[in-house]
Order: sequence, then structure tokens, then C-alpha cells
Amino acid sequence: MLEIIIQGVLLSGLYALIAVGFTLIFSVGRVLNLAYGAYIMVAGYIYFYFSQLLGLPPIAGLLLAGILGACMGLLKYNLIVKPLKADHIAVEISTLILAVVLQSAVILCFGNSAKILLPIIPGVIHIGNATVTYNVLVATIASWLILIGLYLFIKRTHVGRAMMAVSMDTKGASISGVDIDKINMITWGISGFLGAIAGVFFASYTQLSPTMWVAPLIIAIAIVIVGGIGSIIGTLVVAHIIGFMEIISVALISPQLRGVFTMLLIILVLVIRPKGLFGREEL
Amino acid sequence: MGLGLRWYHFALWAGFILVMALMPEFVSKGTLRTMIFANFLAIFAISWDVLSGRTGYISFGHPFLIGIGAYTTAILTKRFDVPVEYAIPAAIAMTMVGGTIMFLPALRIKGSYFALVSLAFMELIYQLVQVIRPDLTGGTRGMSGIVTLTRGAANGYYLSFSLMIIVALSMWLLMRTRLGTALSAIAMNEESVKGSGLSPTKLKLFAFMTSAFVAGLGGAFYVHYLGSIAPRALFDINFVFTIIVATLIGGASTIVGPMFGAFFLTFLLEYLRPFLPGAERYLIYGAIALLLYMYQPKGLYHIFMSQLDRFKKSGDDD
Amino acid sequence: MTKPLSIKNLVKNFGGLTATDDISFDLNEGQSTGLIGPNGAGKTTIFSQIMGEYRQTSGTIELYGTEISKLSTPARIRLGVSRTYQVPRPFAEFTVLENVRVGLMPDSIWKMITESPNVDREIELALSVGFSESDLRRTPDELSMGDLRKLEMARTMATNPRIMLLDEVFAGLTVGEIDQIAKLIQKMRSENMTFLIVSHDLKALEPLVDDAIAINYGKVIAQGSFASVISDKAVRTSYLGT
Ligand SMILES: Nc1ncnc2c1ncn2[C@@H]1O[C@H](COP(=O)(O)OP(=O)(O)O)[C@@H](O)[C@H]1O
Ligand SMILES: [Mg+2]
Repeated sequence: MLEIIIQGVLLSGLYALIAVGFTLIFSVGRVLNLAYGAYIMVAGYIYFYFSQLLGLPPIAGLLLAGILGACMGLLKYNLIVKPLKADHIAVEISTLILAVVLQSAVILCFGNSAKILLPIIPGVIHIGNATVTYNVLVATIASWLILIGLYLFIKRTHVGRAMMAVSMDTKGASISGVDIDKINMITWGISGFLGAIAGVFFASYTQLSPTMWVAPLIIAIAIVIVGGIGSIIGTLVVAHIIGFMEIISVALISPQLRGVFTMLLIILVLVIRPKGLFGREEL
Repeated sequence: MGLGLRWYHFALWAGFILVMALMPEFVSKGTLRTMIFANFLAIFAISWDVLSGRTGYISFGHPFLIGIGAYTTAILTKRFDVPVEYAIPAAIAMTMVGGTIMFLPALRIKGSYFALVSLAFMELIYQLVQVIRPDLTGGTRGMSGIVTLTRGAANGYYLSFSLMIIVALSMWLLMRTRLGTALSAIAMNEESVKGSGLSPTKLKLFAFMTSAFVAGLGGAFYVHYLGSIAPRALFDINFVFTIIVATLIGGASTIVGPMFGAFFLTFLLEYLRPFLPGAERYLIYGAIALLLYMYQPKGLYHIFMSQLDRFKKSGDDD
Repeated sequence: MTKPLSIKNLVKNFGGLTATDDISFDLNEGQSTGLIGPNGAGKTTIFSQIMGEYRQTSGTIELYGTEISKLSTPARIRLGVSRTYQVPRPFAEFTVLENVRVGLMPDSIWKMITESPNVDREIELALSVGFSESDLRRTPDELSMGDLRKLEMARTMATNPRIMLLDEVFAGLTVGEIDQIAKLIQKMRSENMTFLIVSHDLKALEPLVDDAIAINYGKVIAQGSFASVISDKAVRTSYLGT
């Protein structure tokens, strides 16, 4: 029981971190970035390259991955999303293509086989009869700190409030003088950064492989869809619903059914409450 | 029926069929094998096009349908010794049931939301086939030793080409009727379709059923060509990508486009093989697809047609 | 004789807002009625309920004696009612003729496949609303607001209605275009079409209607001959601001 709770909290924290960058873009730009999972993967490889192949300290690798992730986000916004004028389906199709391109690029550079990422912080801790690696613990704590920071950023700063205004009513925000393009750039940058950080932790949680991007993408999609757009709190709550659902089904039913309930949840929520459990009315 | 057929339509199709029918005389077995894959990919791309290219209900989970067709006939023939003549129609019927399931969400949601549900369907069935009755589905490893229908590259080619051409021609004709117009109208404005007195539900159901029929047919024959089935290769986002990109490169909503795109893609990948033997071939292919899509989302067919128009117009001026 | 359209106690709530509040009126066969009222009065919402695009909160709507509340929009259109939209909604990638073609199609997949499009009828309809031959192959992005309204009219007429609901038909049109559409309406009136017409342009509306209904805040405030309605005191204060 205790073990389930601990594992659930840890996994959910990681999931929240994975989803939050995706939520941001969906809220502000109303487009689904299907290459988001590929960012996560590429960031894992960037970290791998700097910290394991070049031997930089982990924190430098993490920061470099974050910065390069932000650059990828900006590039994508300017080269793909803007030219397509936020035609949603076109953006989704082209980001899906981009994801496959990134995947092949990674195969070209690093090969097809999976790589084990050394823990960012080695060591384990025992809580009751549950064993927790420092690595996962740090990931969860970092995830909480980042989410709280993001929440404060959105509520307290000018830029954050402008982002919120755009997410609620793009036209209205634009009329009242918000530079939509700038806000979008900032959002894509932040999202890329967050995705990259999440990617490093996710990769150290599982392992590094060119096809590892599908799972986090699906988790991000599930959390955004079930949570509804525009809500960091919603993201956090649903990350816990999904995280615990997975841990419970692994522990009590069958490890192979891990993802099945998540998929069923997505389908059910989309069909019954397309705006999500916490979604705002004006979609 | 008002198909607006002209002599050159007959000439082009007849010419195409003739050239393709003579192909085994001129090309190597290896090339023929490549063309067999192109034929199947064309069938899948046409199936996608009839649904997503036309009505705008983008399916990111088309392998869900293809997989139902493939698994049904594989299980029936291998585990229950059902003859192929019965197993394949049953597989198609099953796929249409799957199409109905996929259609239900489309009653309420569209756009990005529908696209995501279809993706969830694919992931769902991918996980389910591995755990539910692995004694039937073969679990994670899939199945092998499934009856094959043809021996030798030439026969396989003839069968797959016949299927492909029958599907392509009948869909091409069907989409030239007013039905094609009505289905396209759904992508543009579903409310106005209703306001014009047509039931979008009926039209969408028809599109899903037709798409499922073609996907089931393709999936069933494909598995009887390969003789094996593996869930990871089938319910794979790369497979979705290949189907969608084949359609988009060729030209969505045209039937001829997806067919052309499938051949273009298969051969491009084949010719890249000596230089890039593994999955990194997709880098070049994806990059081309992305650039082309950004430049002209309507695909090569559209570029070709508008060039042709310009050529005709400048001819008129002389 | 049964009325083409009979509305009784129609109420529509949007959350806390009552967009139509106990509205009742009838239309007579071959009669043309103006529906006037300030912005937000609930005119478009009445149309949407008649067509079944919104389901009313309470009240009944009868078309030729049939209660239609449970019918789908296409089923209502088959009974003979059809509308234009205040904001035109053409099929963006279709030509003028193809747009009209969709309106002309029967709601039967079998017939769509087996019967040819009636191109002559498509052309006739498009020309009748004032398109020129050269417009027929244009797409909506090449059309003016006036043309888009004409296209709305043509697509609506294509469904072969006996009652037409026209929403803000003259908004954004030039004087010449208003004249053209007015002539078309007059012609259909002489062929016994029943009309319910929303317009802010009272001058243009006056010759086209027999009667008028004025609404404000979702309630009928005056009803009767056009002249009596626009001289009504409540109408003048709410609507004309005099
Ligand atoms: N879908 C809707 N949701 C909420 N309120 C609506 C909706 N449609 C219309 N309304 C409100 O109902 C009222 C009547 O609107 P409408 O019928 O469009 O007025 P009119 O056509 O007379 O200008 C307005 O206050 C409008 O804001
Ligand atoms: Mg209105």
C-alpha cells in the first residue's frame, strides 16, 4: 500500500512535468505539438552526449539540454507553426512528420540501440519497504519546484498574465495590445525548455531509445485532454490520476495493462466531456 | 451518373494498367517485391484518403482498422483452420465493425480531438492484442506461418496490383459522383452541409465504412502475403506516418494522389537503402515530405494539375 | 387551413440569459413577414430553433401542422423550410456551382451516387440570384460580401423550400445589390413563397413584407402591419432610438 502511494506520487510528478510544456502550447496557441515527444527524446540524447560522452557535470548537461530544447521550440514556432498560420490540422500533421524526422536524425547520430542513462544523482533511499532511487526523487522534487515556479510566473508576472490572456481570448488580448506573436514565441521557448528537462528525467527513469518519444507524447496528450486546456492545476491533478491508475494497474492487475486504462480514459473523456474535466467553457 | 469522364481518362487508366501488367517482364524480382509493398501502401493510403482526405476527420490511428483486418483473418485461418475464402470476408466485416467503433466519437468531436482519439484507439489495440488471449493473437511476438496466397514475386505482384487497381478505380469513380462532393463539403463546413438538407452523420458513417472496408481488405491480403504479423510493426506511429505522408505527398482527396504517393515513397526509400541502410532513411524522406507539405499542402497532384492548367492556358494564348 | 409555420411560447435559455422569452407567432401561406429588433434581440436565435440548430428550452414549433421539435435539421428542410445565415457560410473550396450543387442534393447516398448532378438547374439558380456566367466557376475567396449573400440565397433556394428565413439579407450590400435581391424576393413572393425576413434596413424591407413582428430582449413587443409596427411607441424607443 505504502509502496503504491510512493511510486504513484513519484511517477505522477514526472508525468506532470512531461505534460506541462505540452499544456502551455495547447492553451496559448491552441495547437497540438505532436513533435513534443520527440523534443523529450532529443533532450535525453543531448544530455547523454554532454554528460556521458563528453563527461560534463550532470547539471551542465541538464542546462544545455534545456537551452537547446528552448531553441528547438523557437525554431519550430518560426519555421512551421507561424507559416501554417496555426491551421491546427496542418500543424499536427507537420509536427508528426517532424517527430519522425527527429527520430531518424537520432538514429543517424547515435544508432538504433537503446542506451542506459547513468542516474543524474546516484544512490537509493528506503522508505518502509519501498526502494526509491535518488534519481526519481530528485525528478519529482524538481517537477514540483518547476510547476510551482511556472504557476507563480503565470499569475505574478506581466508576461505570464499576458500568456493567460491570450489563452483565454486571443482576439481580445490582441485588441488590448498584447503582442500575440511575442507571447507565442515565449511560450514555445518555455515549452521547449520544460520538455527538455522532463526528457532528461524521463530518459533516466526508463532508457534512451529513438522510439521512446511515443510514450511521453501519449501521456502528455492524455493529461491535457483529460484535464482540459489552460489549467496547470488541472494538469497536476490529472497527472496524478493517470500516474496512480498506472501504478495500481501494474501492482494489482497486470503490468501489461499499464497503458490500457489511460487510453480508455482518453477516449471516454473526449467522447463524454470533450472540454476535459477541468476545461473552461469557451473553447 | 454524371462522372464527367473523358476519353483521356480511359486512355490514361488503360495505359497505366497495361504498363503495370507488363512490369514483371521487364523488372527484377527485387523491384517487383518493392512494387508489391507499394501496392499495399497505396491501398492503405486510399483508405485513409477516403476518410481523412475527404471529410477532414484525420485518422492518426489507421493501423487500428488495418490491424483488425489482418488479425481477424490471421487468427481464423491459423487457429481455426477457416478457409481463406471465408476468413477474408469475415476480416473485412470485422474491420467495418471496428470502423463503426471509430465512427462513434466522430458524432461528437472533430478536428484535433478526433485525431487524438484515433491515435488512442491504435495504442489501445496495440496493448490489448498483447494481453488479451495471447494464445490466439500470439501476444507481443505476433504470429508467423500464416497461409500465403501466392508463390513467387510475379504472382504476388499480380494479386496485389489487381487489388490495388480495383480499389483505386472504384474509389476514383465513386468520388467523382456527387457523393464525393458531399464528403468534401463535410471537411469545409459540416454545419452548412446540414443547412443544405444533408445528414452529415449518414455521410460520415458511409465514409468510415468505406474506409474500413478498404483497410480491412488491404490488411487481410497483406497478412496473407507476408505470412506473419507483428504488433509492434503494425500499430506503429511510423506506419501511420508512412500512410499519411504517401497521401499528402501525392495529394489528399484525389485517389490518384495517394496511389502515386505510395509508389513514390516506396521507391524513394528503396533507392536510399544503399546509402542509408536503416531507419535513418526516413530522415530524408521526412524532410522532403515536410518541405513539400509546407510549400503545397495539396501535394504533387495539385502542383502537376496547376502546371498543366498553366500549360493549357499558355497554349490557348498562342 | 394549416399555417406554414406556427410558433407557440418559444423559450430559449443560454445559461442565465433568456434569448427568446415566450415568443408566439404564425406565418400565413404566401405571406411575407419582417422580423425586426435591435442587435441581440433574439432574431437569429428564433431562426436557429426553427431549423433545429438549437433545441428550444420549451415551447412548440409546427411546420404545416407537424410538430418538429424532435426532427433533425435535414428532416425540417425536407418539410420545406430553409434559411440563410447572417454570416455567410459557403463551402470555401467549392465553386459557386458546386456550392449550389450541395443544396440540390437529395439526402440519400444511393441517389447521390446514381443520379447525375442537374447542372442546368444549378446554373439557373445561380443566375437567378444575380450571378453572371463568369462568376459560376469562382470560389468564395474571390467573391464580395454581396456575392456571398447571393450564394446563401441560391443554396437555400436549392433545397426547394416553401418557407424561407432570411437573416440580415441586406447587410454589407451595395444599393445595386440590394435592388437585385429585392427583385428576387418579389419574384418569389409572386410565386407564393412564404418569407420571414430579418433586416436592419427598414427602407429596403418595407416593400418586401406584408406584416412585421418586432422583438426586444427576446419578447414580442409589436405585431401587425409593417406601418403600424414601425410607428409603435415601444418599437420606436427600443429600436429606432427616437
Ligand atoms: N450560442 C449562444 N450562447 C450564448 N448566448 C447566445 C448564443 N447565441 C446567442 N446568444 C445570445 O442570445 C441573444 C440573442 O442573440 P441573437 O439571436 O443572435 O440576436 P439577434 O439576431 O437578434 O441580433 C444575445 O444576447 C446573444 O448574445
Ligand atoms: Mg442576428
